[in-house]
Amino acid sequence: MTDQQQLPDGTSRPRRTARQRRKQLVGLLFVAPALALVLLFFIVPLGMAFWMSLHNWPLLGKPRFIGFDNYSRLLDDARFWASMRFTITYTLVVTVAIFSLAFPLALFVEKTRPLTKFYRTAFFLPVVVGFGSASLLWAWLLDVDSGLFSPAAYSLGLTDKRINLLADFDTTFWSIIIMVVWKTAGFNMIILLTGLQGISTEVQEAARMDGASPWQRFRRVTLPLMRRTIALALILSVAGSMLAFDQFYIIADGGPQNSTVTAVYWIFSQSFGSFHLGYGSALSMVLLAILVCISVVQLRLLRNPEGM
Amino acid sequence: MRLLRIAALAATALAALSTSALAQQKLTMWSRSSSEAFMPGLIKAFNDTHKTQIELQIVPSSEMVQKYATAAAGGSAPDFVSLDLVYAPAFAKSGTLEDLTDLAKSLPYFEHLSKAHIGTGTYEGRIYALPMSADASVLLWNKKLFRQAGLDPDKGPTSWAEIEAAAGKINALGGDIRGFYFAGACGGCNAFTFMPLIWASGGDILVDGGKRAAIDSPQMHDAINFYRELVAKGYVPESAKTDSGKNFFGGFATDKVGLSPIGAFAIGNLVKNYPDVEFGVTFIPGKEGGRASFAGGDNFVVTAGRDNVKAAKEFLEFVYSIEGQTLLAKGGSLPTRGDIAAEAVKGLDQRYQIATEAMKMGRTPSSPVYNDIFNSSTGPWKQMLNEAFFGDDVDGALAKAQASMQSILDSSD
Repeated sequence: MTDQQQLPDGTSRPRRTARQRRKQLVGLLFVAPALALVLLFFIVPLGMAFWMSLHNWPLLGKPRFIGFDNYSRLLDDARFWASMRFTITYTLVVTVAIFSLAFPLALFVEKTRPLTKFYRTAFFLPVVVGFGSASLLWAWLLDVDSGLFSPAAYSLGLTDKRINLLADFDTTFWSIIIMVVWKTAGFNMIILLTGLQGISTEVQEAARMDGASPWQRFRRVTLPLMRRTIALALILSVAGSMLAFDQFYIIADGGPQNSTVTAVYWIFSQSFGSFHLGYGSALSMVLLAILVCISVVQLRLLRNPEGM
Repeated sequence: MRLLRIAALAATALAALSTSALAQQKLTMWSRSSSEAFMPGLIKAFNDTHKTQIELQIVPSSEMVQKYATAAAGGSAPDFVSLDLVYAPAFAKSGTLEDLTDLAKSLPYFEHLSKAHIGTGTYEGRIYALPMSADASVLLWNKKLFRQAGLDPDKGPTSWAEIEAAAGKINALGGDIRGFYFAGACGGCNAFTFMPLIWASGGDILVDGGKRAAIDSPQMHDAINFYRELVAKGYVPESAKTDSGKNFFGGFATDKVGLSPIGAFAIGNLVKNYPDVEFGVTFIPGKEGGRASFAGGDNFVVTAGRDNVKAAKEFLEFVYSIEGQTLLAKGGSLPTRGDIAAEAVKGLDQRYQIATEAMKMGRTPSSPVYNDIFNSSTGPWKQMLNEAFFGDDVDGALAKAQASMQSILDSSD
């Protein structure tokens, strides 16, 4: 880094030694494979998607260049913005729900007690089920005739008829929230657990000696020291939720009455239901931009005060 | 040196491949998985008796459109495709399909081929697709439940009032038994089974050559009220609200549903897989009688620019022969040539006669954006029906759908 230093008069150091240059070259060589992969599987497809978004690109027939028409069209696409609003609502609700379960779980399994390993495994188990298969499982659980919840409630006498949980927005939405929390809380628990375990016992010890109550210790010691871990878990969770698709597609089919269509679902249906690949690409670009903004804001908010 | 050897090997392999292709002259054909019961048999019979050989590949129904579209763009499309007839306009518009107008007009029985198939196969006055297989929507009733409810088990309803009365009596049997079933969250299913209610009452869905949506009609309001009434009285199972088509057929097969509008495909399926279900088949009626049917099934199309029209003609002449039509009927498809249809289904279950009659008057809305409007799970048709059948604001749902459909139709040009 020394050669990057600015001299007091504002000019950079005039000479780099040959050795330093060689070192840099070696460094570049080491990251080259990773760079190549990113270039091949991210930058190039991204560029292609952007190129497609400038076209009227039907699934059938010939693409035609139309400049930014797709983008001006999507500004008026009420369905897209409705799906975007729904996605954001879902993201807020599900993130709060996941954290309010994952944090207590992490605190719970952090302490060594009998069966800790069993609990950790049990809480983590739903994570290893794919989202697709988990959704299929819950689609069955939520089925009005052959499922579990509504026939069970009916035979226990809780309801006077079998209730179709997926026929109403609220029950559909909350069923899916519960399913996602069940599925992903374990993953966030593990991330938070690593943060918890990274806090040295001496710090906690010292706080205790100073007479801090357990709540004060959590609030003033644990939370600030876990800032980065929480940031990681939060960004992963928010990005994942903003891209939600499988569960809404498989369990609810976007229903009832298209009220649970997420942004990705709308992109999918525009691309492959209406055959507008170009328009779908434009929507994807906008979603990407929104996601980048959200992530940048999150990173800034959660940056350590010292600028670390 | 090694590289050279590999290159040489590859070249020989390529040469061998191309010569064998020349020697066999095999044409490739794709067909969707729902036609698996009859297409392989039909192709085999054709290959056994003709010099031209066709190699059939079954493609999952849900992937056919994407697969054919991408293959056509990449130049690896099959020579022939048996394509869901509703997609014919979209493919014809895109220039993927060979113009078959001359071939069609040269067939002496052209006038007797399924009108609905030819209709969706015609784009801007030229014919790009001809009938391959067919399915028509009909009304099924459960004879056992009719008997139990004190109704005449040998007489199906002929008007909406009769359907409602019968459904009510069957519903009164109690338990899990319900009067009527339809898949309430499935656009495609309801195009098939709900549109005939409107047609039979004198209304229509797409007018002006498929350029204008006419959703907000008195017939549509009547038909919706008819279904709303059935739902409100509890004649329809709770699961119908969210059935996205997975249970379209299964509902009736449970033997716990009195009446259900389904397709002719259900006849063979019930006979074969659910022999305990005693059922009758009748036409989907209009409000005060009358009858109508949605003509579904596949169109035969030829990928453009391959000089395969002669082979296509040879194949189609076989399909439209009495032998071909009988083979189709035996496998579960309805005959596609009207003048010999009765003969083709003669040896089969009597109930096929009704379906064959229904096929003759079958209709299909034709539009390059059919999928967008009717089949898509986020499309306006599905949303409107679900809101109208189960929601509170029928007029609002209709108005919204009318505007949305029209804007899709307008933007397709």
